[in-house]
Amino acid sequence: MRAQFVFQEVWTGLRRNLTMTIALVVVVAISLSLLGTGLLFVKQVDNTRTYWQGKVEISVYLCTSSSVSTQCRQNGPATPAELASIKSDLSGLPQVEHVYYESQAQAFQHFKQDFSQDPSFVSTVSPGDIPDSFEVKLKNPTADFSVVAGTVQGRPGVDDIVDDRSILNNFYKLLDGARNAVVIIAIILIIAAALLVANTIRLSAFNRRRETSIMRLVGASNFYIQLPFLVEGVIAGLFGWLIAAGLLIAVKSLGLDTLQEYFTFNVRLSAGDLVEVVLLTMIVGVVLCGVTSFLTLRRYLRV
Amino acid sequence: MIHFDNVTKLYPNQSRPALENVNIDVEKGEFIFLVGPSGSGKSTFLRLVLKEERPTEGRIHVAGKDLARLTNWRVPLLRRRIGCVFQDFRLLPNKNIYHNVAFALEVIGKPRRFIRKVVPEVIDLVGLEGKHDRMPDELSGGEQQRVAMARAFVNRPMILLADEPTGNIDPATSIGIMKVLDRINRTGTTVVMATHDAAIVDSMRKRVVELEFGKVVRDQSRGVYGQAY
Repeated sequence: MRAQFVFQEVWTGLRRNLTMTIALVVVVAISLSLLGTGLLFVKQVDNTRTYWQGKVEISVYLCTSSSVSTQCRQNGPATPAELASIKSDLSGLPQVEHVYYESQAQAFQHFKQDFSQDPSFVSTVSPGDIPDSFEVKLKNPTADFSVVAGTVQGRPGVDDIVDDRSILNNFYKLLDGARNAVVIIAIILIIAAALLVANTIRLSAFNRRRETSIMRLVGASNFYIQLPFLVEGVIAGLFGWLIAAGLLIAVKSLGLDTLQEYFTFNVRLSAGDLVEVVLLTMIVGVVLCGVTSFLTLRRYLRV
Repeated sequence: MIHFDNVTKLYPNQSRPALENVNIDVEKGEFIFLVGPSGSGKSTFLRLVLKEERPTEGRIHVAGKDLARLTNWRVPLLRRRIGCVFQDFRLLPNKNIYHNVAFALEVIGKPRRFIRKVVPEVIDLVGLEGKHDRMPDELSGGEQQRVAMARAFVNRPMILLADEPTGNIDPATSIGIMKVLDRINRTGTTVVMATHDAAIVDSMRKRVVELEFGKVVRDQSRGVYGQAY
């Protein structure tokens, strides 16, 4: 009885200001899907970061006969004695987890693998062009780079020291920037959605002021008077969320997963991540609409 | 049943009180006319009984309850014991007669079986038998007011407040309306009716309370409307 009455009222309300309802659903859908996209981005960046965290190393490039830096031209290519002393000094540092020597031949092999799709580029490079290096894995990559770099910097035989993180940081900056932009737009849209909910509910309350005044008069409880409006807001929110959920699934399967195919490493988001984000946007949508409706009603439907 | 003890009501931004030191006692089962020119405080009296307004000073008891100590969430419970009828009927234009009356019970969560039983009885009581399916705009003013009275009475209130119920209705039809009010009064319901209609007041010979500029100037059992009007 009660449920039937409430839903009848809700249906009348949604139908009577249909244009407003549609606007509300669309804005909720867009704001929630942007918010969800932002959250998916956060997860993607985190995944990538964790993946790389275990892999970042410092590369200490050594001088070869074809090195062009002034330092290498003064000292000539690294001698076996220099190699041994650099290696032992690096291994001796407490911050270093392990040191691995990559010879010119190995480095060339890796290079050929990485650019296997571009044989014309590979053919311009000969094995001697790529320097050999020490790949140093640090225990704490964020803190110890300068200490470790300092011990070998400028030594005879050392050409250049590269922190892998500095390369990745640019990539992260790009991802973080994109994520922040998406989240900021989403927040602005959510505010717009909240205002629109307030307006829709107000219009709905105005449309039904005759009914509500009679309800008050015959002693319907506040809850009973407000419930249809509240449900109306929440239902519009749920419709918006359904559309947003569809868009989010599309963003993941068409956007992020396609992007994934350009990487050789696997940082694909799991279905669990997607479900988590979709559920989170649902909670945001329902709470947003419910709370806004409630606050609006408190102002417009006093006892 | 209704007890006003030195009640003063001053609306914000108004220099003259709408009601000033009003003392009125209405006993259970009484029929009382509230008369006086526009702005004399009749409507304010009714609004105070419903707790739509709060008195600036004084105490009001309705159905044994002190309204000042009635919490907000209990106000709806008070209103379930009071029926209301207005000059402009206030029916829902998109519902038929049956559903207009049933609406009052639906919104306080009465079971459907109870509604099916009670609503036709009340529609018969106000003299609209056989017109359940009519829409309000298919009825005359007098018939619409009967629907409004059925809606006000369907929950068997202890008090029925009528704010100029015959104000939009011609004198001949008004007699029928008064008969219904009298019938409702005979079931034991206290009836308070604010009115301008001298002929009706004179013909009914009930208690008359006259308000002027917010003060009670006359309280007379078996009274008439008065010479001045």
